[in-house]
Amino acid sequence: MIRRTLTALLALGTGLALPAAEAAGPQAATPQVRAELVASVSAVQPGEQIQLGVQQRIIPHWHTYWLNPGDSGLATTIAWTLPAGATAGDIQWPVPGRFALGPVTNYGYENEVTLLSPIRIPANARPGSTFPVKATVDWLVCQEICIPQQVELELSLPVVAAGTPREPGSPLIEQAVARLPVSSPWQADFSNAADGLTLRLSGAGLGALTSSDVWFYPGQWGRIAHGAPQPVHITGDSLSLKLARGEDPPAAGQALGGVLVVSSQDGARGYSIQASAIAAPTGGNAVPAEETALGAALLFALLGGLILNLMPCVFPVLSIKALSLLRHAHQSRAVTRLQGLAYTGGVLASFAVLAGVLIGLKAGGTQVGWGFQFQSPVFVLAVAYLMFAVGLSLSGVFTLGASAAGVGTALADKPGYTGSFFTGVLATVVATPCTAPFMGAALGFALGQPGPVLLAVFLSLGLGLALPYLLLSFWPALQRLLPRPGRWMERLKEFLAFPMYGAAVWLVWVLAQQAGPNAIAIALGGMLAIAFAAWLYANSHAVRPLARHGSRGLAALALGLALAGGYIGIRTGAADAAQAATTKVSGKTWEPYSKARFDALRAEGKPVFVNFTAAWCITCLANERVALSDESVIAAFRQAGITYLKGDWTNQDPQISAHLADFGRSGVPLYLFYPDGDKTEARVLPQLLTPATVIAALQTPSSPHLAKE
Amino acid sequence: MLNANTLRRTVLSLAAASLPLFSATAAHAAAEIGQPAPAFNAQGADGKPVSLASFKGKTVVLEWTNHECPFVVKHYESGNIPQLQKEFTAKGAVWLQVISSAPDKQGHVDGPSAIKINGFRNAAPSGTVLDPDGKIGKAYGAQTTPHLFIIDPAGQLVYKGGIDSIPSASKADIAKADNYVKLAFSDLAAGRKVAHASTKPYGCSIKYAD
Repeated sequence: MIRRTLTALLALGTGLALPAAEAAGPQAATPQVRAELVASVSAVQPGEQIQLGVQQRIIPHWHTYWLNPGDSGLATTIAWTLPAGATAGDIQWPVPGRFALGPVTNYGYENEVTLLSPIRIPANARPGSTFPVKATVDWLVCQEICIPQQVELELSLPVVAAGTPREPGSPLIEQAVARLPVSSPWQADFSNAADGLTLRLSGAGLGALTSSDVWFYPGQWGRIAHGAPQPVHITGDSLSLKLARGEDPPAAGQALGGVLVVSSQDGARGYSIQASAIAAPTGGNAVPAEETALGAALLFALLGGLILNLMPCVFPVLSIKALSLLRHAHQSRAVTRLQGLAYTGGVLASFAVLAGVLIGLKAGGTQVGWGFQFQSPVFVLAVAYLMFAVGLSLSGVFTLGASAAGVGTALADKPGYTGSFFTGVLATVVATPCTAPFMGAALGFALGQPGPVLLAVFLSLGLGLALPYLLLSFWPALQRLLPRPGRWMERLKEFLAFPMYGAAVWLVWVLAQQAGPNAIAIALGGMLAIAFAAWLYANSHAVRPLARHGSRGLAALALGLALAGGYIGIRTGAADAAQAATTKVSGKTWEPYSKARFDALRAEGKPVFVNFTAAWCITCLANERVALSDESVIAAFRQAGITYLKGDWTNQDPQISAHLADFGRSGVPLYLFYPDGDKTEARVLPQLLTPATVIAALQTPSSPHLAKE
Repeated sequence: MLNANTLRRTVLSLAAASLPLFSATAAHAAAEIGQPAPAFNAQGADGKPVSLASFKGKTVVLEWTNHECPFVVKHYESGNIPQLQKEFTAKGAVWLQVISSAPDKQGHVDGPSAIKINGFRNAAPSGTVLDPDGKIGKAYGAQTTPHLFIIDPAGQLVYKGGIDSIPSASKADIAKADNYVKLAFSDLAAGRKVAHASTKPYGCSIKYAD
């Protein structure tokens, strides 16, 4: 005890009270550390950048600290005294190691390390003179006990004219450079969930690593628990590390920076990582950037599916089904249940098909997102026709299904089931443009996952969509809550035709955005043909067989004309419209988004607001009307000098898909605000905007943490 | 079909999924801000038992210390910690030093030595808790000396972290730093939530038993 106190006091004495024990020179020593100042060159040339290194040789079992010292300890600091005009950069830290003492874990160096600093020689340095450098170096050296120490190191280098041959500098510099982390060749992101952080890397070469030799050193204190185990999971060319949350975990949207150290028999190799946060759902009260883990994704998908029932395009479909339930109130419970199951089956089958298509496209390397099918003008036209046809049917122009002539009563129920199944399919088709706010994150999560997970999320979404009708068909008690059947049902059915016509009108407008004004004529002409076909079909029941076949043939011809004409007309029109769209910007409050424009603005450190939208996205359009076109918002943009970029994802655009993917999204809307300064992090705005939320997001002061990252 | 167990599990997993923030890091730090501070009964340097529960109704400061650690020396020789101890005990708070150094390790002392050392360095805590087996230190997740924890009169942890905002061993930095203990006390006095409730502790590692 006394001996230890003595050594500690002695150490304190030598370390603290007697800084720079020796006459200033390139070397200095304390009882624990010998330090030496070395240079990458033997002489300096005006205007060049050189490296200076402070080497620490540390006695066995003691260590000094890295940039982030871990649970205790202190990073080494170097204060430079340089000739006028010369500047020094931050310390470049070689790959650290880690030391555990009970529950305390530290990051640092044992035995030997050289800390590098880049030094810029002023252009007016005069050849023939000298370049004197002084480094005041502070470190904490610890074994079990810790001793703060300070030394002063001085070095004087001759100045020679540019191009003069010179002797090589200290070999220590090259050795230290070889130990610096290199920038990671992999994609990195992380999520912050209930069970901790998950850092994910993907890219070639990761599959070759083994799990025992990987460790992530966070660049800042408290982001993760420094000493907690880091379970590694390697599949194919991706690697994920589970990291326990520390005392100061990353805030929402904040990146996670650090060094991934991979050890092998050839030594340790470090890779600098700057992992972006995977954004979480941003509802009204901002949920922090948490991982939408599978459980949560399924839950959000289910909720999203439920909400879809209320969307203007889906509600009529569901209402029709509910009405038919009333109409068939005489049916046995079993039949009603089967109807419900058939409908659910239709919905789930459609979602499974969608998931399958997405998985296939992903496997083919296409960048796709939710609502991708609406990026095809042909698909939009087809849905517009479908809506119109359903509307005609509701209006009573023609009837499909059970009442068709020639179907025996024994089979009367069967079309009922197929009808239910296809009502489910129809509900899915019309639901897709209505991305409910809850679904964005769940789908974004799903699209980044392997096939089975994607399928599970989609099926969960489908289940949510089917749930109300399914419940209705299984619990007769719920049916009793519905009003009694009567003539009003016919009236309601006819009335519901109008939302369908409305949806068709909207889709034609979308089509015009995608494929130009000619598309309107094509679409409307096609609808005319469909209406004609429907009328012919409806009136073919009563007439004689010959006339019946004639009018049905004519109906089929009209229908074929509508479809084929639409298909060909739209395909050729779309290309022209895309060209036209790029040139028609002036006198607007926004500029079209392009990666190049965005990067240029960010490089200048200008504040940028980015709106990713699509004409087929109702939420997007509502937000633009309500919030982004509001005068107060436009004024706020102008006042703060914010450039408002609008990325139109109505048609597929790989640049926008990539930008969305950076934020873990696969669909629109996405609103981002990048405050001024070229290193600032984007703020992700909620998916439902009001002028107040936009202005509040613009005015939130930057967090000092963000500035540091 | 749906028994109570699965129901509970479902509810729990739903809660966990929707409230990712609140199911935190219990595995490696038991002392969480806003949670009841871990209770303890220990031996005081004066030989009397010390129980955290007996201070209910008062604000309690726990200060992990090791008189040989240069960072502790910085804050005692400069008079910084003794001054804080006097100021806040005068206002009715209880200030307990905690010594978690294991026998034969730096900073380990018996009760009479602890009191004597406090006399040399003008310390004025309400008491000194001896924790040679490190149980209290580990329950709080104490890592450095100094490392400070503040418990409000209701027994909830309201602050944990460093003594101030500049991690260094230099006395000259004390005046430039934000003193987190003072800031926490002024927030508490004003009935506010402590603004910097969890900060980076700095200093020597605590010399726990191996």
